[in-house]
Amino acid sequence: MTRASRRDTELGLLLIVAIVTAGAYVLAGLGKTASLPANIGPFLGMILGLLGVAHVALRRFAPHADSVLLPMAGLLNGIGYVFIARLNRDLAGLQATWTLLGIVAFIATVVVVRQARDLDRYRYTFALLGVGLLMMPLLPGVGRTIHGARLWVRLGPVNFQPGELAKIALAVFFAAYLVEKRELLSDFGRGRLLPQPRALAPLLLAWGFSLLVMTAEKDLGSSLLFFALFIGMLWVATDRGAYLALGSVLFAMGSLFAYKSFAHVQERVRIWHDPWKYASNEGYQLVQGLYAMGSGGLAGAGIGLGSPQKIPAAATDFIFAAIGEELGLMGTVALVTAFLVIVGVGLRIALRADQPFEKLLATGLTLILGVQTFIIIGGVTQLVPLTGITLPFVSYGGSSLVANYVLLAMLLRISNDSVERKLRAGGAAAPAGAVDG
Amino acid sequence: MPESLLQILTFCLLLLVWLFLLRVIWAVWSDARTPAVVTAPPRAAQAPAAAPAATGQPTGPARLKVVEPAARKGQVYDVSDELKIGRAATCQVALAADSYVSQLHARIFRRDGSLFIEDMGSTNGTFLNRKKLTGPVALRRGDRVQVGQTVLEVTK
Repeated sequence: MTRASRRDTELGLLLIVAIVTAGAYVLAGLGKTASLPANIGPFLGMILGLLGVAHVALRRFAPHADSVLLPMAGLLNGIGYVFIARLNRDLAGLQATWTLLGIVAFIATVVVVRQARDLDRYRYTFALLGVGLLMMPLLPGVGRTIHGARLWVRLGPVNFQPGELAKIALAVFFAAYLVEKRELLSDFGRGRLLPQPRALAPLLLAWGFSLLVMTAEKDLGSSLLFFALFIGMLWVATDRGAYLALGSVLFAMGSLFAYKSFAHVQERVRIWHDPWKYASNEGYQLVQGLYAMGSGGLAGAGIGLGSPQKIPAAATDFIFAAIGEELGLMGTVALVTAFLVIVGVGLRIALRADQPFEKLLATGLTLILGVQTFIIIGGVTQLVPLTGITLPFVSYGGSSLVANYVLLAMLLRISNDSVERKLRAGGAAAPAGAVDG
Repeated sequence: MPESLLQILTFCLLLLVWLFLLRVIWAVWSDARTPAVVTAPPRAAQAPAAAPAATGQPTGPARLKVVEPAARKGQVYDVSDELKIGRAATCQVALAADSYVSQLHARIFRRDGSLFIEDMGSTNGTFLNRKKLTGPVALRRGDRVQVGQTVLEVTK
């Protein structure tokens, strides 16, 4: 795939994204106030500007990077923004600012991280950064508790969730660490099915750490995401299914512990089990979300014509239900498909990467997106107990949006580098399929 | 504006979103089908060279040439009776810097005048012409052996 064709594909896709987003924005205005939104011109200009700048940065600094990731993120972000604006004008202004910051962070990452393997050298810096950021809300003075979870930090006028950036830093550290130790960790000794005791230390450490995060910050989502990330990467690095099994056992033990010791976990499970019994109190949010999606039917009520504002936290955790009401099954399946494509492309980037570190990092970053999407969509649709976490790129949430754009930029960097190296090696040479194994 | 018209417009927007997704999936698919950068050695061009080799396998001293990585391209290893490939310093082909390679990864040996390759229980496998080895396989001229990130070609 030549330099031009990948970026040209991207440009074409970005133009469709701009049209879809602007169209949705107009429809939302028509549906809600029966008039064309006054600022549609500047709005379209801003989308084109933001996506255009990101696109030009890729053309200049990562010309061989994958072509569909940026447009997909743009589409999710755009549709998310339209729904946030439709639900809450104040949040919309903030989300626009965060999107701008997200694109700036995206470009900065593409420009600053010239080679993914440079990150490998700062592995312990990233480890410290990750743990520090994750623990930051516990610091007295800056940490804040919102809706029962202590995962916010207040610096000046801004509230943010440092955990969102921590997961990326930790993925970098895990990738660097596991590449170095994977022979040790995958060597069980002759005929043994389980790892040797000393190889269990990192696993138990990660487990203990996620339990700590859960008990100290009362945040199930980050804890689950963090543990799933580590187990997933450990499994991919060592090719040992035993770790997956051990991880599941530890996860079950942790869940049981959480269920026994925290009232709010028991409540979540109860609501999940039978939300209708609690429809007017604890289960209100979930039930409203289910009603919203149910009333949406196949093609939805039409943007601006439903009443998703009845769902508590409709712009953040429950945005999937809000979209389900007004765009129907066709809209939600499109969202799920979009996330599946992103995960698929991310894993393909991992398969095609020729450096072990980049391979693992791409796997980890993709896992973060995939697991997070599963947790929240599964929660809103009552597939799993509800855990508040943002839907990547769609939900309102500044730290999440910025972090996900950084994550995207790193995936694109890896994608670009592996293609570039193969080009430099003369274009012939190694059978691509072989390294994939 | 009547609601039904808005609903029709919303439906059109959804169709556009789906067309976009189909376009994306097409882009992903066509990109997957043509890994244009990493073209495997053209089989057709090799066929004439490989044909005589198929009947007469290398009987004299065989030779392996490094194709990848680019830094060591062209380096050659001669095979007399046995050639070990791995990260251990005792291997004739010692790939200490490649973390994909196991200590003793694979060996090439001669039996009844033919050259064979065998994986020695490596973690990441040995690949002959992009296929993972499961047991000893006879080598022919032009075959490509991949161990970790290193690709070797059988040249004579």
